[in-house]
Amino acid sequence: MISKTAIGYLVEKLGAENVASEKEDLLVLGYDSTPGVHHLPEVAVYPTTREGVLAAMDIARREGLPIVPRGSGTGLSGGSVPVKGGMVMCLNRMNRILEIDEENLTATCEAGVITLDLFNATAAKGLFYPPDPGSQKISTLGGNVMEDAGGLRGLKYGVTRDYVMALQCVLPDGSLLNTGGKSVKDVAGYAFKDLLVGSEGTLGIITEITVKLIPPPQAKRTILAYFDDIRAAGAAVSQIIAAKIIPSTMEIMDKATINCVEDYVKIGLPRAMAALLLIEVDGHPAMVEEDAQKVDVILRQVKAAQIHIAKDAEEAGKLTAARRTALSALARVSPTTLLEDATVPRSMLAETFAEIERLTAKYKLTVGTFGHAGDGNLHPTVLCDERNAEEMHRAHAFYDDLYDKVLAWGGTVSGEHGIGLAKKEYLARQIGAGGVKVMKRIKNAFDPKGILNPGKIFSDDDPGTRARV
Amino acid sequence: MSRSKEKLGNFTNLDAPEYEDVLQCMRCGFCLPTCPTFVLTGRERSSPRGRVALARAVAEQKLEFTDAVKQEAFFCLDCRACTTACPSGVKAGEVMEVCRSQSHQQAPLGHVGKSFREFILQRMLPNPGLMEKSMLPARLYQRLGIQWLVRHSKALKLGPAWMGKAEGMMPKLDAPLRPQLPVVTPAQGEQRGRVGFFLGCVMTLMYPEVSRQTVRVLAHQGFDVVTPKETKCCGAPHLSEGDRQTARELALFNLNLFMQADVDYIVTDCAGCGAALKEYEEQLEELAGHDKLASFRAKIRDISEFLGEVGLRTDRLKPVNKSVTYHEPCHLCHAQSISRQPRELLKQIPGVELREMNEASWCCGSAATWGLKFSKESEQVLDRKLNNVKETGADILVTANPGCQLQLAWGVRERDLLVEVQHIMELIGEATP
Repeated sequence: MISKTAIGYLVEKLGAENVASEKEDLLVLGYDSTPGVHHLPEVAVYPTTREGVLAAMDIARREGLPIVPRGSGTGLSGGSVPVKGGMVMCLNRMNRILEIDEENLTATCEAGVITLDLFNATAAKGLFYPPDPGSQKISTLGGNVMEDAGGLRGLKYGVTRDYVMALQCVLPDGSLLNTGGKSVKDVAGYAFKDLLVGSEGTLGIITEITVKLIPPPQAKRTILAYFDDIRAAGAAVSQIIAAKIIPSTMEIMDKATINCVEDYVKIGLPRAMAALLLIEVDGHPAMVEEDAQKVDVILRQVKAAQIHIAKDAEEAGKLTAARRTALSALARVSPTTLLEDATVPRSMLAETFAEIERLTAKYKLTVGTFGHAGDGNLHPTVLCDERNAEEMHRAHAFYDDLYDKVLAWGGTVSGEHGIGLAKKEYLARQIGAGGVKVMKRIKNAFDPKGILNPGKIFSDDDPGTRARV
Repeated sequence: MSRSKEKLGNFTNLDAPEYEDVLQCMRCGFCLPTCPTFVLTGRERSSPRGRVALARAVAEQKLEFTDAVKQEAFFCLDCRACTTACPSGVKAGEVMEVCRSQSHQQAPLGHVGKSFREFILQRMLPNPGLMEKSMLPARLYQRLGIQWLVRHSKALKLGPAWMGKAEGMMPKLDAPLRPQLPVVTPAQGEQRGRVGFFLGCVMTLMYPEVSRQTVRVLAHQGFDVVTPKETKCCGAPHLSEGDRQTARELALFNLNLFMQADVDYIVTDCAGCGAALKEYEEQLEELAGHDKLASFRAKIRDISEFLGEVGLRTDRLKPVNKSVTYHEPCHLCHAQSISRQPRELLKQIPGVELREMNEASWCCGSAATWGLKFSKESEQVLDRKLNNVKETGADILVTANPGCQLQLAWGVRERDLLVEVQHIMELIGEATP
């Protein structure tokens, strides 16, 4: 239990408005978007500068409190959930965009900047920051970096990692680590930057981020294809890639997802169809024209039921916005939405859909599947009720079976959501005991006392850090 | 008349949230950037997701119904922007409205506060005649020029801050409209139907000229307009203050009154009333027949919604050569999903140039009595709105709800902005010969 004196120190260093210790504040900082996980921290701080981060860390260290960094709490693997109590460090008030460097094509900002705000600020200068996770309108850059967030444009433009050029962070012992810079090449020593990206808050607290910007595509075409059979949609994706076309976006939604999304957005999505693909090609106008035609030919070959081209940017915008609501919209039909993040080599997409169908029937579940088909990254989501223990048991069995297949096909247990609490057991299955051991040694080198975001990524035997609902 | 059921956690069993409604939130956070109080404070508990989580904690007995929960229930603007933003269909605003009722059950006000609240909600608001009489001193006060004196000497700054603002917000008051309107105003030209007009309290008392235009326009558009004299308050202030019992009594009265009138539609020019009337069906579900409620609900229209649906006859309209920007009242765009119709009407007025402002559907910070209770925060919300208004350079700032109109007109006066604030019906009224 944190002492009154320690809270007094925090207030003195950070200001009363930046320290929260009332139960009502703490209760609502103990969750993210991962179902079923909710823990109570002892204190929450809202540093507004790096000095504030250092001061809070210093006090946490003296009090022996674990520290859990938090952006907007939109994570999907429990990364910002304080499973062992302690201090939640909310970085959402460090939200200044410090510089947009048009000569070097970089942007530098504090960790709490909202992803979409950075996108808009760079777009205003004729530049483009591509990573666009589903929650971009509220997710923070710091959170994106810590989870290595993906998004709808990952297929052509890559994920957050591909844009991080430099990081400024505070290590658990209070030392500072600056890694990377604005140089496009940098092989000086170990690539700490790459280690920190996707480290889920277990190695250091990021305070400042420099990202790479690129010129935006000149033209874009948005195509919507409907299918009577979801496997045909899977085949379309594999064939488009095999035809050496790299769309910027190739997203899939199955029937359950289409219906939930349509209930919310009401833009006339086809409720009776088994699946839809949302495909965007962008780049030079001539190439866009050519790619769009080739995509059209392939869609006809695989017998898409209908092909529809967005008539303008507004319609295209509505379609991608609709896709972004998929997960939340699925929550309309059930209190609990248990989603996974399985990713397979793209040639295995059709098989993956078939496997999901088979397991859905086997375990008698309702499953909505959507995701970044072009990346082979699917989000099969079990629509269930956490109060029904027996149903939850079947849901977990469903994922156990599915991950066996995914790993056998050379896939991964997490394409973009991270391991956090939710997938600790699966990580060991993927990388083996040896892999986990090396990861733990790295963790130990950064955080020997284990105070940063404990209980994440690796499974220890502490039952308190188990994720299962 | 009560809605009591099995007790849920640490809520009382009368007017408590439904457990399913709080469980529905999957915590994606899509509501956060649309919530004015979260954007102001950056504090999770002052966000829709946080508020629903607090209600869930009370339901799951992880938390008592504490003072902080009560504070959050009242700090919520009830602007419903989160409802629009929520793909999962969570209604955080409604959950908080119910929590306001819990507040009065679980943490009653002191004697003076309680009597004052009861006097306003249970004695004044349900009684239109009494309200009209009570406004007399206010009108006299304006006539005698005391208002001018007070405003200019800043005398009221000595009192509590809210009183100064409330005084400053008061528009120029004319005699209340209710006693002046005939029960039936006959249609002009080709008759297109018969509508009941729901005249709201704030409209008759503060903006009688606006509703006079509404009735005139409806008649000019070919509708017989029936305005029942007995109409009582719609109950919105009661829901907002957490007095759900009186709200139900008023709703039942108005339901019966309008269902006896032989009208095709029930139209209102107050977004707050419209939103409340559309919720009667849910509010009275155990107190009135299902068919009657459904038929009542099917008749309710906001004036913009109505004119958009039946089509505005524009052939005889006079031009109004003005640039106009439109502020969306929360209770119209978020509570009733009406965004398109007012804009389309504005575009149909000859001579009007519609200029979109940024964040047109962002709250203005009025929100019933919120603007008086949280005057500092309300100023900040208002600043954001008026900066967006200023950027358009429009001559007229149009809205469709008296609460917004009071707040915006006050803000414009305080800041000496060169923009006139009008209700959409004043503008259509100006175009109507």
